[in-house]
Amino acid sequence: MLSRVAENLYWLGRYLERAENIARMAAVNYRASVEDSADEDEAVLWDALIHAVGSDVGYAETMASDAALTPGQWLIFSRSNPGSLCSTITHARGLARELREHISREVFEEINLLYLASTDAASSRGLRQYTATVQRGVAATIGLYDNTVLFDEGREWFRCGMFMERADMTSRIIDAKYYMLLPSIADVDGPLDRYHWLSILRSASAHEAFRKRYRGSIRGPLVAELLILDSAFPRSLRFCVSALERHYGLATTGTPRMRALPVARELALLDLELSSTDTGEIMRAGLHEFLGEFQSRLSRVHDSMMEDILRAVPASL
Amino acid sequence: MPETGDLLSDYTLLAGPDEMFAPDGSIRPKYSGLGSRLARWTERDFLARQAAADLDQLNGGVTFTVYQDDRGTERIFPFSLIPRVIDAAEWDRLEAGLVQRVTALNRFLVDVYTEQRCIKDGVIPVDVLATSEGFNLRAMGFVPPLGVYAHIAGIDLIRDQSGEYRVLEDNVRTPSGVSYVLENRRTMLNAAPDLFPTGSVAPVDDYPDRLLSMLNAVRPDGVASEDVRAVILTPGSQNSAYFEHSFLARQMGIELVEGRDLTVHNQCVYLRATTGLERVHVIYRRVDDDFLDPLAFRPDSMLGVTGLADAYRGGHVSIVNAIGNGVADNKVVYRFIPDVIRYFLGEEPLIRNVDTWVGTKPEDLAYMIEHLGDLVLKPANGSGGYGIVIGPQSTKAQIEEAREQVRANPAGFIAQPLQEFSTIPTFNGTKLEPRRADLRPFIVTGSSSWVLPGGLTRVASRPESYIVNSSQGGGSKDTWVLRRREDA
Repeated sequence: MLSRVAENLYWLGRYLERAENIARMAAVNYRASVEDSADEDEAVLWDALIHAVGSDVGYAETMASDAALTPGQWLIFSRSNPGSLCSTITHARGLARELREHISREVFEEINLLYLASTDAASSRGLRQYTATVQRGVAATIGLYDNTVLFDEGREWFRCGMFMERADMTSRIIDAKYYMLLPSIADVDGPLDRYHWLSILRSASAHEAFRKRYRGSIRGPLVAELLILDSAFPRSLRFCVSALERHYGLATTGTPRMRALPVARELALLDLELSSTDTGEIMRAGLHEFLGEFQSRLSRVHDSMMEDILRAVPASL
Repeated sequence: MPETGDLLSDYTLLAGPDEMFAPDGSIRPKYSGLGSRLARWTERDFLARQAAADLDQLNGGVTFTVYQDDRGTERIFPFSLIPRVIDAAEWDRLEAGLVQRVTALNRFLVDVYTEQRCIKDGVIPVDVLATSEGFNLRAMGFVPPLGVYAHIAGIDLIRDQSGEYRVLEDNVRTPSGVSYVLENRRTMLNAAPDLFPTGSVAPVDDYPDRLLSMLNAVRPDGVASEDVRAVILTPGSQNSAYFEHSFLARQMGIELVEGRDLTVHNQCVYLRATTGLERVHVIYRRVDDDFLDPLAFRPDSMLGVTGLADAYRGGHVSIVNAIGNGVADNKVVYRFIPDVIRYFLGEEPLIRNVDTWVGTKPEDLAYMIEHLGDLVLKPANGSGGYGIVIGPQSTKAQIEEAREQVRANPAGFIAQPLQEFSTIPTFNGTKLEPRRADLRPFIVTGSSSWVLPGGLTRVASRPESYIVNSSQGGGSKDTWVLRRREDA
């Protein structure tokens, strides 16, 4: 498979997954801001989210120069924000257009519909409706991909992109707790703490899974266990890493072994570590520190995937 | 026609013939079946189906890119439900005439780049070739596999005042538009299946198979048929015809590549794959000659592949269409193609040219300068409908300006009489109006020539317009070739 095509499929997977995550997190935020009254709280919630998805470049300047712009609009609709939901969908659609001969008509049409829903009229129909459209559209796209496209190398790179992004996003969602400050240490496990963890569960589509797993009240270490270590929950870090490991292996079956090895080894190590630790150990070392370390290792895996495989120039025939 | 009749109530014929309506307002026989099926629709039916067709193309991303438009780069090609209908007898004549023309063009190209007998025998003046932008020294002495230069040809036809089909223009470099033929048929079947006469319209979806077989047939010597790796080379997703490049790659199941995906080692072409380098044998390129190889042509080209021209001349890769075809489809050489047909095939042309005056011939030039107000002036090396001056629709000042341009650069222009070519009912947003339409059939040539039934019908955007190019806002239609003894 062409290296350029493989890389584009990988990015298509990443952008679609990112779009769905932003949409879901924004919907949860929106709900919280409606439920949870005070204006200053609302701004704090959005700021935390914007920071979590790395959309803060140019944010302060644009907000200062445009009084009518709300943080929600910046995150969802703004074209000046390259990381906004609309921009992310536009990137994904640009890639899909370049990849048309590698994806099915159904997949392209679904992405194209999302793009058409993102132009002009989107902001007037409102944030909630648009994020719902994106969530459904991305889910449909991913489903159609697996039912209308060949299970070949390209599909594996698409899945690699998807799980890479999902692992990154889930770690950012959990880490958002670090920025949700409690008034005092006595509030740990109190109503506000529980409310914070609940919105983290919702942001990761994990509320129902949590209830099924634990049948008890929401507590931080349990949430962390579900979202980091549970091998059966499809958004947990452990699930994503082992999916990434599997899809990467399938994507590189034809690649010379020495080129494919560094990434495979790093993924195997990450997988092993996640399967041989527990929440007690993680909490003692510090959740925020653990997640920071996880994110930087993941980003090294991404870099080395680019250098060793997708952008590598074969030296000889 | 009770209800749809409203859509056609003010239908006023233009000066040229109408494909659907005779001068007395009656429906022509080849449209009678379509007319009666259309009559069963209410106006609302029509509008709903037209909207469904538009949505189908928008959602499918059936778009083209307009370069001189800052409102955004992609547009849908306006599509109109009433098809062009060609009856079986008309089509038989056209098909034979198109094969004849493409055969002669290929013989001409081989001759121009080898023995140049047609110049020695005075069929084409030598200065016409010498001043032609399309003549490519890099092709001298080279005969491609099977002696085919013009593998894919798009010959633009119109029906003139008397109803005769005429060739308006040859396109043998990288003619585009075939994807819209296939997509228009798909859209038409989705939006208005009940308009079709059951089983009597020739299908068009054989094209990708024919194209792929041709690519296989022109493979370099010594490559086994089952080993052939063909790719499509595109300038990239910003190109106006990118949709088509990607569409054809998808339909044929071959790789769509950009210049940076290919590399040349020892005159062999390879593509850069995740697993290493893979050999390529046939390149269906949609990149102009000038940009193919920065080493051989424009050194500033970012679109090409360094060393490709040598690999081609070495016979290690086939390029489709061949390098150097521009010499056969420029507007000056066009004037001489009827003679080319007579010279190489010993036959009269089955489809005639439109009368043409060329600036390079002194007697033609004098006529052009004098009658510019009655003529259509075209740049000899232009395309896309850019730079055309329509005498009868221009002001005195515009004509004077054009006259100066011709005097300054006679070789740069040709002129033709304004053709009152045929119209087809076309939806204008509220009702049906006549629009001038041309037809671009596609001819695929490997070991023999095959003509895609029908072709791309393009329509002008306004009733007064004579220009059908998509870059000028024109739209398109489905084109039906009827099988024997059937009415549409």
